[in-house]
Amino acid sequence: MRAARIIAIAAVTGAFLLPLAWTGLAAVGVLPDDSTRPPSWTGPPTLDHIAEIGVAEPTFWQELATSTLAAILAACLAVAAALPAAFALARSRFRGGRTATQGFLVLASLPVMAYVIPLADLSGRVHLIDTFAGITLAEAAVTAPLAVFVLHGAVAQLPPDWEEAAVIDGAGLLRILGGIVVPLIAPSVAATLVVMFVLDWNMLLVPLVLTSGEVKTVPVALSDFFTFERELDWPTAAAALMVSLAPLAVLVGVFHRVLESFALQAPGSRDIG
Amino acid sequence: MRLTRRDRLVLFAPLAILLGGWLVIPALVGLGATLTTYSPLTTAVAFAGWRNYTDVLHDPQFSEAVRNVAIFTLVAVPLELGLGFGIAYLLRRPFRGRSWWRGLLLLPWLVSPIASGVMWHYLFGGATGILNFILGWLGQPEVASPIGDVSLALAATIAIEVWRVAPFVTFLLLPGLVAIPQERWEQATLAGASWFQRIAKVALPEVAPLMLTVGMLLTGLSLGAFDTILILTGGGPGTATLTPALYSYDRAFVTNDWPSGAASAWLIAAGVAAVGAAYVRISARWSP
Repeated sequence: MRAARIIAIAAVTGAFLLPLAWTGLAAVGVLPDDSTRPPSWTGPPTLDHIAEIGVAEPTFWQELATSTLAAILAACLAVAAALPAAFALARSRFRGGRTATQGFLVLASLPVMAYVIPLADLSGRVHLIDTFAGITLAEAAVTAPLAVFVLHGAVAQLPPDWEEAAVIDGAGLLRILGGIVVPLIAPSVAATLVVMFVLDWNMLLVPLVLTSGEVKTVPVALSDFFTFERELDWPTAAAALMVSLAPLAVLVGVFHRVLESFALQAPGSRDIG
Repeated sequence: MRLTRRDRLVLFAPLAILLGGWLVIPALVGLGATLTTYSPLTTAVAFAGWRNYTDVLHDPQFSEAVRNVAIFTLVAVPLELGLGFGIAYLLRRPFRGRSWWRGLLLLPWLVSPIASGVMWHYLFGGATGILNFILGWLGQPEVASPIGDVSLALAATIAIEVWRVAPFVTFLLLPGLVAIPQERWEQATLAGASWFQRIAKVALPEVAPLMLTVGMLLTGLSLGAFDTILILTGGGPGTATLTPALYSYDRAFVTNDWPSGAASAWLIAAGVAAVGAAYVRISARWSP
């Protein structure tokens, strides 16, 4: 029974990772050869294609740096803005409080397309087009509602006793938030940061419409390549895909334990929001 | 602790600035602008009433887009929830290295929607693809890429989306399944429940509220399906994979018909708001 389950898990994982393995092989120059019967692979493995990325897209490494920095800042900004609000929501008993929390989830589900057209127009008018700050702030705003929803769940689970004790000791709001609440829900905060980073890193529409090409993230560079019909060689494209996936894979690998604390709903609770 | 009105104001201020400036105000200004003839390139602005909206709603292309996204959502979301739940169910009991498997399984979701479009363009393709390689091994003739076929393109985009999102659903559902107390499973087993009954009587009732929340997220994101399709088919062949988000993007940024673009984008928002209202109502009934 147990062995059967492990085999099933391995089979499912294998099936889901097969397309990525195929891409990984192509990135190191191991390509399918359909002319033989049965089909075979060409080889030997090489790292040349990773160097070719820089030839096809000379600014690729710079775009990688832009993506990284924008995603880090946007994730921190979103969490920093969401955390106090989540705390306030969890510790206030007002009518419609739960609907307000659920409203943040609906906002998190709202496709960016719904408001990005006027956002691009307004950003242009206040000269935030083609700026790193403009892209970072807009990315943070896209992901902040989800952060509020998740962190609200984490705070709501905390018994308020610790905070009460601190209030009696005369601690101020910031001390309570930074010194008591954040350390107690640190795993959730870290997990939220990682998920926000992934979402920001992969975001296309926001950085696409907020740039005319001066400040580009990796997804924007990818879309440029394909919408302007400049087809890349498959091994080069595969290498670029693998290089842009690698930071996320490493991040999730390092934080795989912390990510277990990312819960849309407090485990064991049947409440929604 | 007891929060005063001033405390609450301070605590909500950063979020209000961020969401106000970069989400709410643009959205509302956009809504106002769609009731006029406003466009960033024109100077003369006149009141237009609902005309931008009726224009979009009468556009056969937009109807096609709505039909496609309805099929996309109705097929993709249940598949993502079902598959994601199934995999989470396999992972529910602790075993050595579970959290590694969990991380490995999350990999498809880490591929950005746009990178997934690029990747599948080649994976479905002739000389580079995985499809013809497998068919070759089975001794079958090669097939053309499904993304170029009017009758298969939408199904192919759905399959790609399910591949990318189902692992994320597993990631979101697993904490809920893990939290079910061991006794509940044991009781069910002692009562002679089959695995199917254990799922229906123990697992599903416990994770139903969580699945509702995940379903809300997935539905909203499906209604805005954009990135992968932009790269893979650009909405084609013909209008086979056109979605409202692609339609809005094309109007606003490619053909420079800003009012149609902004108005159709607001129709997406209206769709998500309707789903959101249903979500709030259902959840109120489930946990009063």
